[in-house]
Amino acid sequence: MNISVKIGQSVFPNPVTVASGTFGHAEEFYGQEEVLKLGALVPKTVTLYPQQGNPPKRICETPAGMINAIGIENPGIDAFIDLKLPKLKATGVPLIISISAHSEDDFAVMIEKLNDAGGLSAIELNLSCPNLQKKVLVAQSAEATSSVVQRAKQVAKYPLIAKLSPNVTDIAAIALAAEEAGADAISMVNTFMAMAIDIKKRRSRIGNFTGGLSGPAIRPIAVRMVCETAAKVKIPVIGMGGITSADDALEFLIAGATMVAVGTYNFVDPRTPLAVLEGIKAYMKANKMTDIRELIGSIQR
Amino acid sequence: MKKIQGKYKVVELVRVNDIYYRLVLDAPALAKAVKPGQFVHIRVSDHFEPLFRRPFSVYRALAGKVEIFFEPVGKGSKMLASCKKGDVLDVLGPLGKPFASPSRSVKQIVFVGGGIGVAPFMIFSDTLLKHKAEKVLLYGGRSKAHTFSLAEFKKNGVKTFISTDDGAVGVKGRVSELFSKIDLAPTTFIYACGPKPMMAAVAAFACDKGLSGEASMEEVMACGLGACLGCSIPTTKGYRTVCHDGPVFDLKELVFA
Ligand SMILES: Cc1cc2nc3c(=O)[nH]c(=O)nc-3n(C[C@H](O)[C@H](O)[C@H](O)COP(=O)(O)OP(=O)(O)OC[C@H]3O[C@@H](n4cnc5c(N)ncnc54)[C@H](O)[C@@H]3O)c2cc1C
Ligand SMILES: Cc1cc2nc3c(=O)[nH]c(=O)nc-3n(C[C@H](O)[C@H](O)[C@H](O)COP(=O)(O)O)c2cc1C
Ligand code: FES
Repeated sequence: MNISVKIGQSVFPNPVTVASGTFGHAEEFYGQEEVLKLGALVPKTVTLYPQQGNPPKRICETPAGMINAIGIENPGIDAFIDLKLPKLKATGVPLIISISAHSEDDFAVMIEKLNDAGGLSAIELNLSCPNLQKKVLVAQSAEATSSVVQRAKQVAKYPLIAKLSPNVTDIAAIALAAEEAGADAISMVNTFMAMAIDIKKRRSRIGNFTGGLSGPAIRPIAVRMVCETAAKVKIPVIGMGGITSADDALEFLIAGATMVAVGTYNFVDPRTPLAVLEGIKAYMKANKMTDIRELIGSIQR
Repeated sequence: MKKIQGKYKVVELVRVNDIYYRLVLDAPALAKAVKPGQFVHIRVSDHFEPLFRRPFSVYRALAGKVEIFFEPVGKGSKMLASCKKGDVLDVLGPLGKPFASPSRSVKQIVFVGGGIGVAPFMIFSDTLLKHKAEKVLLYGGRSKAHTFSLAEFKKNGVKTFISTDDGAVGVKGRVSELFSKIDLAPTTFIYACGPKPMMAAVAAFACDKGLSGEASMEEVMACGLGACLGCSIPTTKGYRTVCHDGPVFDLKELVFA
């Protein structure tokens, strides 16, 4: 059974990965198997300089989901490369490094540092960040997305993945802009802007006032968006949003995703990615499929 | 590589008083591994409601059994209070940084427990039977209903003092009032666990008297593993996760808004 997939020239042994920000920083905790069997590891987004993150409360539980406003707390790219990357490389699992920046120059500087560090399989551009020059959320503007991806493509020696925000009218249009600008894959979706209010205190439940919704609650919207986008772009799509089981992941694959990522549900059950992988293989076997390509985008219209 | 996820059978659910419960799990591996101050992250439902696990300090770990001592306050803990003997719970643990074991130069150990915050001090006193220091528990309950027998602490050689907000049992007022009942020395070490205002009062008191100590903090948690950075609190060293860098912190490191 062939379940390996490709992004640009990079090969991944299987299509199951984890969503940035939901795995990692706790390498010593995950049993060997959970990490070593992943198709790729995606650590939390890194920025050029260290960021301390948002004040508490950073998370809150909502019906079948959660809202988070962590604020991309991270040690900065230099400390990440010196302290975290060696341990990640030691796992031997293909690495997709997620980065974010407030300007195209900063993206380029970070990519050059990652080029030099070596040992990656791809770089994911987290575009859910404000662009200080253009004064827009990059992922909310086809033009800004295109110009960030173009600039990144000029410097990157690794395949580039554009991670898109679902907080747009037409996500497929943004995906097309990223593809035309040279992206090797699309990763979607990031969280939905959301809010929850403590009615006793009449305050937001989130320190940052608003946050991003994730978890099973968003899955049907994410599946629809992946289905629409995969039909329009030629590059692979990494699908995510509320995956809790193999059945959930299969929806994304059938909708057209080439890879699937488990996010929020890692917090509920750290073994989920493994269960998803086993379940996909079992489904292929039961349906007499020998190549994952028979499954990807097999939705009947 | 540590094994941290397990499914354990409920041996017993005990009503301690009108408010508190004690849940006993058959969990030999967990009982062996856990250290005082560490917690377990329990899945209270197989469905998406509630989604997150719920964190609880380990109250006791004897003879292959792990106990938690809890107060049903919201939907998750209420579900736990309705579980039955024989139910199987999915548990992550032991998690978090334990209390520092007191060095031999510590001559007096003061546990300060506010309400359900008393939980980690039972297992702690179980492990300190051989420590020569004088051991004291200052327990603050909101009302008479929040008090319970401290006999198990006394059996472990711990002197106990109680306060309630209205004075119905013990001293009237906050648990910090009880500090006046004991003779503190520079060799005293304080361990505190309870609501935030209590912790702030204890931290201020310790600072004022030049005493050292630790506090076990609470924050809403998703992963419990240090992966999501959702449970961070401000410390003098910047934001630190309660689940992974804590829940136990040096009293001097805590920053109260
Ligand atoms: C390290 C640690 C140890 C704890 N030990 C104990 C213990 O021994 N006994 C005990 O009774 N309680 C303990 N708590 C508190 C316990 O986790 C909460 O009472 C419980 O999560 C409430 O869940 P709920 O669904 O009943 O409440 P809800 O209010 O419905 O919960 C909503 C959300 O807020 C979170 N939450 C609510 N209150 C707290 C709180 N005080 N701390 C952290 N998260 C909270 C919940 O986990 C959930 O995600 C501990 C908390 C932490 C962080
Ligand atoms: C606590 C938390 C932190 C996250 N941090 C990041 C991040 O740093 N970078 C990023 O691109 N996405 C981040 N995300 C978004 C996830 O990667 C994912 O796109 C989203 O949560 C949807 O998937 P899910 O429903 O399976 O969680 C975060 C999500 C959560 C819940
Ligand atoms: S709960 Fe995820 S880092 Fe603490």
